[in-house]
Amino acid sequence: MGLDFTVILKNWDYFLWGRTFQGETGGLLLTVLMALAAGCLSLALGIGLALASWLGPRPLRAVLTFLADLVRSVPLVLVIFWIYFLVPALFKTKVPGALSVILALAWFSSGAVLHATLAGLEALPRGHREAGIASGLTDGQVFTAILLPQAARNLVPSYVALFASMIKDTSLAFILNVPELTMTASQVNTRAQIYPAEIFLFTAAVYFVLCQGLSWAAHGLAVRLQPGQML
Amino acid sequence: MNLPIDWSGVLTGPPLHWLLSGLAVTLAISLAASGIATVVAVLLSALRLSPLPPVRLATLGLISLIRNTPLLIQLLVWYFVGFGLLPQGLKAWMTGDHPWSVLPGQVSLFAPEFAASAWGVGLFIGVFLSEELQAGLNAVAPGQREAAASQGLGGWHTLTAILLPQALRNAYQPVVGQYLNLMKLTSVTCSIGLAEITYQARQIESFNSHAFEAFAAATVLYLAIGFILERLLLARRKA
Repeated sequence: MGLDFTVILKNWDYFLWGRTFQGETGGLLLTVLMALAAGCLSLALGIGLALASWLGPRPLRAVLTFLADLVRSVPLVLVIFWIYFLVPALFKTKVPGALSVILALAWFSSGAVLHATLAGLEALPRGHREAGIASGLTDGQVFTAILLPQAARNLVPSYVALFASMIKDTSLAFILNVPELTMTASQVNTRAQIYPAEIFLFTAAVYFVLCQGLSWAAHGLAVRLQPGQML
Repeated sequence: MNLPIDWSGVLTGPPLHWLLSGLAVTLAISLAASGIATVVAVLLSALRLSPLPPVRLATLGLISLIRNTPLLIQLLVWYFVGFGLLPQGLKAWMTGDHPWSVLPGQVSLFAPEFAASAWGVGLFIGVFLSEELQAGLNAVAPGQREAAASQGLGGWHTLTAILLPQALRNAYQPVVGQYLNLMKLTSVTCSIGLAEITYQARQIESFNSHAFEAFAAATVLYLAIGFILERLLLARRKA
C-alpha cells in the first residue's frame, strides 16, 4: 500500500489550529486548550475533595469515594451527552460543545485525582501528621506545610499521567462536532475522500508524540522527585 | 427548572424497541471484544517473554502505541483503513447477507462497524489487560518458572499452565476492572455508527427530544450491566 502524505502537507495548518484565525479555535490547539482547562478544573476539584475526605469525618470520606466511583461507572461518552443536553434544559442557556466536554472531563477525572491524592497522602508515615500537631500546627497547616510537599513527590508524576489520558479523552469531543484534532482529521478525510490511512495515521502520530512524551516526563519526574535526588 | 419528564417517550413504541436492540448490541460487542482482548493479552504476555530481543522490543512498541493514542482514533483507523486492507473475498462475504448473524436492530455481526469495533476495543483493552497481567507476573516467584522448565514444560505451557494462572490471581481485581472498562468503552463505538445503547439514546433524542429520559435509561442500563458483571466476576473468585 503506497502512502501519499501530501494531503498532510497541504492541510498541516488546519490540523494544528483549524480555523482559529477565522475566529473559531480548533485543531491541535483546541485539543490542548480543552485538556488544560479540564486538567486545572479536575485538579482543583479532586484535591479539594481529597482534602475534605482527609480532614473531614470518616463517613464523609466513604460518601465521597462512593460518589467518585459511581461517576466513573458511567461511560464518559454518556457524561458528555448528559451535560450537553441537560444543562441547557435546566438553565435555559446553550452550552458550547467544547465547554460540555471540558466539564464532563473535569467531572469524570476529579474522581481519579481524588483517589491518586488520597493514595499519595496515605503513603506518608503517620508520625508526620502527629509530629506536626504536637508542634502546635493546626490540621490545615500540617496539610499544606508538611504533608502536601512530601506527597507531591508521588503526586506530580501521577497527575502528569492523568493529564496524558485527559488529552486522549478530548478526542471524544468528536461526537459533539467540536473541531478539535480528531474532528479536524475527520473533516479533512471527508474533503479529501481517498487518503484515510495517511490522515488518521498522522493524527494518531500527533497524539502518540504528545502522550508518550508526557508519560516519559511522568516517569522522569517520578525518578527525580525521589528523596535524596536533587531537584 | 422546567423539565417535563415523560417516560412514555422512551419506554413505549419504537424508542423502547431501539433501546432493547441497543442493549443486545452492547452485550454482543462486549462479549466479542472481551474474547479478542483475552486472546490479545495472552499473546502479548507470551511475546514479552520471548528470548528474541527484537520481538520483545516490537511488542513493547505496539503496547505503547496503543496506550498512547485515543481509542476513538484507533477505531477510525480500523474502520476507514483496516477494513479496506482485508482481502476482497472476505470483505464481500462480510458485507453480504447472513440472516443468522443479524442482531435485533438490523446489526450484523459481520458488518464493518461491528467488526472494527470488536477488534478495536478488544485490542485496546487487550493491551491494558496484558499490562495488568505483567504486574501480576512480576509478583510470581522466579522459582516457579525454573521448576516448570525442569519438569520439561516448554515456554508456552509454562506461561499458560503455570505463570498466567498465578498472575491472574495476583492481579484479579485490576483485571476485572479492565473487563468492566471494556463494557463502558463500547459506548465510543457509536461514533463509527455501531447502533449500541448510546447510539440509540441519541436516536431517541433526535426522534422526540426526550433527551433526559433517553440518557437516563441508557445510564441505568450501563450501571446495571456493570453491577451484574462485577458481581459475576468477583463471585467466581470466592468459589
